[in-house]
Amino acid sequence: MENREQIICQLNTTNEPHIQKVISRTFEDLCSQVKSESLVLSVCNSPVFIWPNKGGRATPECLTPNSPCKDLQQFIQTDDQESMKSKKKEKTNASAVVINLNLMTEVTEPADLSATTLMRCSTKHHFLYTAMPMDCVVSLPSSERLSVVYDALVVALCSQLDEMKKVMLRHMKGMTLLIPQPFHFLLPDPVGLVTVVYPAGVPDSQLEIQRKELHSRFELPGNRPYLRRANSLHFPDEPYKDGYLRNPHLHLKPPTLGNGKLYLVQGVYSYHHYMQDRVDDNGWGCAYRSLQTICSWFQQQGYTEKAVPTHKEIQQALVDVGDKQGSFVGSRQWIGSIEVAAVLDQLLGVTSKIMFVSQGSELASKGRELANHFLSEGTPVMIGGGVLAHTILGVAWSETTGEIRYLILDPHYTGAEDLQVITDKGWCGWKSPQFWDQNAYYNLCLPQRPKTI
Amino acid sequence: MGRGYIVENMVEKYLSSLQAPDSTGTSCVTGLLIGQSTSQRDLVALAVRTPQRNTDGQGSPSINRRAWISLDHLDVEWVTEHARQVSRMLPGGLSILGVFLVTVPELSKEAQNILRQLIFAVDKHISKGRLWSLTNEDVTEKVALHICTETRKTVCRTFDIRDPKSSAKPADWKYQLGVCTSWQVLTCSVGLDLLIPVLDMRVLPQDMEKCMKEGLKIWAKQIEVGLCLINGKILADETEIVAGQKKNAKPVQQTFQAQILIPMAEPPSVQTSTVLVKMCSGSLSLKGMVHCRAYLQSNKSRVKDAAKVIKRDIINTVSSRVEMFLEDLLMEGVDNGSVEQVLPRRVFASLPGMTLCVCDYMFPDECLSDVSDRLKELLDWDMPEDSIDTSQEAIIVLRKNIPIKSDMLKSNGLFPSIDTID
Repeated sequence: MENREQIICQLNTTNEPHIQKVISRTFEDLCSQVKSESLVLSVCNSPVFIWPNKGGRATPECLTPNSPCKDLQQFIQTDDQESMKSKKKEKTNASAVVINLNLMTEVTEPADLSATTLMRCSTKHHFLYTAMPMDCVVSLPSSERLSVVYDALVVALCSQLDEMKKVMLRHMKGMTLLIPQPFHFLLPDPVGLVTVVYPAGVPDSQLEIQRKELHSRFELPGNRPYLRRANSLHFPDEPYKDGYLRNPHLHLKPPTLGNGKLYLVQGVYSYHHYMQDRVDDNGWGCAYRSLQTICSWFQQQGYTEKAVPTHKEIQQALVDVGDKQGSFVGSRQWIGSIEVAAVLDQLLGVTSKIMFVSQGSELASKGRELANHFLSEGTPVMIGGGVLAHTILGVAWSETTGEIRYLILDPHYTGAEDLQVITDKGWCGWKSPQFWDQNAYYNLCLPQRPKTI
Repeated sequence: MGRGYIVENMVEKYLSSLQAPDSTGTSCVTGLLIGQSTSQRDLVALAVRTPQRNTDGQGSPSINRRAWISLDHLDVEWVTEHARQVSRMLPGGLSILGVFLVTVPELSKEAQNILRQLIFAVDKHISKGRLWSLTNEDVTEKVALHICTETRKTVCRTFDIRDPKSSAKPADWKYQLGVCTSWQVLTCSVGLDLLIPVLDMRVLPQDMEKCMKEGLKIWAKQIEVGLCLINGKILADETEIVAGQKKNAKPVQQTFQAQILIPMAEPPSVQTSTVLVKMCSGSLSLKGMVHCRAYLQSNKSRVKDAAKVIKRDIINTVSSRVEMFLEDLLMEGVDNGSVEQVLPRRVFASLPGMTLCVCDYMFPDECLSDVSDRLKELLDWDMPEDSIDTSQEAIIVLRKNIPIKSDMLKSNGLFPSIDTID
């Protein structure tokens, strides 16, 4: 279950040396609000309200503390669109269900029964005000009793408040207090779901020490990022705000080869193609789009905080390294694998291996190399040759028979972000070796992961 | 088709007892009509004459009092001020529906103009300082009743207070027994914990009222949009609160517990990475518990009507007692710097023969006889002291959660002076 809400924290302090004490006290108050009987959990898109600190009382009343938590699902009203889709396709029930909750408070459950008083204070002081962006996740089997769930949530909220207090105090400079922000990460087993609080406004590059501590605590390898903000878990029910499709290849049925295995891109990339971002690059921009897909991979795996570059930014990078003249910027000139590698190096500090085949027919024999690439680096591959550029997202390869299929993401698509069209019409699809121009020569750019966390 | 007012029988008795010219020689008697107006029915529960002024001006803010001889010298301000004080004594659901005027036959012609003037002035005065907004479903017509002392003929008309230029519409006025015996009651207790900083060049004590008002406006908005549960359930707005009724069943009075839920915090309008810091010259903190009550006339009332009346009572009771406290402070004229003071507490008195209560606010240094005197003066009602319910709100301030039940403190005589236990 995921819990997303904010708490208002009002601090009233007179001078700096006391700030630490006041902040600690304020967080204690917030924690007691969370433990109080006036806390109410509201299940999003449903008429369910729960009082976790009042013996798990809930409305509707049939939800008792002993009910299994999967009982909550029947009350949740999903979008009409979603329920239509699930009728069409087969239901794959293996994935986790996400239940969103909001924090509310019941004003008619007063903790203090005193007479009403008005206190007036006429001394000058600083008034600090913010809303704390609480975001807790609790992951439990669907048969678990609700009472266990409630306890887990309240404990998670309190410990997050404690984390937030620590982060706030650690990064405090005088009267400047940074807002602590929680991020969720799905780390490899056995660690699983973890929430880390980072201070807002401090870029990942300045938080390396914290990440080193966490990498060692969770026994994560020290050469690839797991805990950068970009690595944070994207919940299945959340749409991506930028509108690009993510990992369309996951919706394809992979080919079955005798003794064949799949070697696919690792992690998340966005599908970049012709005509996006109001740039009409139809006919000349395919390599640029493939490069954008690769940059999106590096950004989403946490290797860079830079946004995916525009065509002009790509061209400017080539001018900056001396590869092209100034007039190149704003032109419609094609680029190839070498240029792609140069831009990755210039903008992201990423080095690439270049593979060359003198004839397209030779690509059929590159199965082992491509498989190894996807195993160790797992980055998307840009391939240019003939007059076309594509992105290779993986191979299906049989070591014994040598049979090979290529998972291709085609940047020449000019339509809208319609997953159905893109997968049905093969804009993202599995291709045979005949896909390549058997006589043309090809260059492949294989980006290498930087060794960093 | 005009409105039809159904009026409690006792009101007829009361109105017929009013004579003009009265003992002080005034040739007309004004007063207020109290009840509940909904789109289905208009019920009048109570009529209260405007009190006669004492020359020594006890119990009410002083206004320039002139001798009241003829309609020319009708003290509209006095009538409206009475209305404002009475409206503070009405729990949720009850309000001032209009004004009545008893005159000698010679003044009957002018009566309509006078009533019009009074209706608009009263409405304007009592809606000042109101922290909630009227909705489309609220009835905006007020009743103007004229009674001639000789013929005892009643003329009943309504004015729409949204349109000062509108003409009066005729309305029905009918007496009935048992109008107020089976209203539905909603109750709840609301915890307050507001911190209002004094920002932007404001200074205490001069700007206290302004700061309080702004802070309370924000809080009132939260209450207005909050979720309301009735008897522990969340129901659709149009659902009737009295479930499973047979058609034409005899209405029975029921009490409903209301609960109000608000989000724990609002996301900021502008995302920042740092905590907002402001210099302020002081702060105001409002803490404690208030008891709230509201009435609904119909056993067919819907959840949204119930939510509306109880929320308005919550907002009104807090803003009324703050207003009264500030008025009192103004009269005292002394500011004690940083100080914590107890606000007046709410007490209830049941109107005999009805399920309805009125309320009053007792300052810490007052006793039951003060309440009783006020009820007599403002509502023209003799209320024996032992029928005043003081058990709903606590007298003292608790700190460090020393639990003391409020009914343990109930007493009918003198009260201890207020101590804050630290």
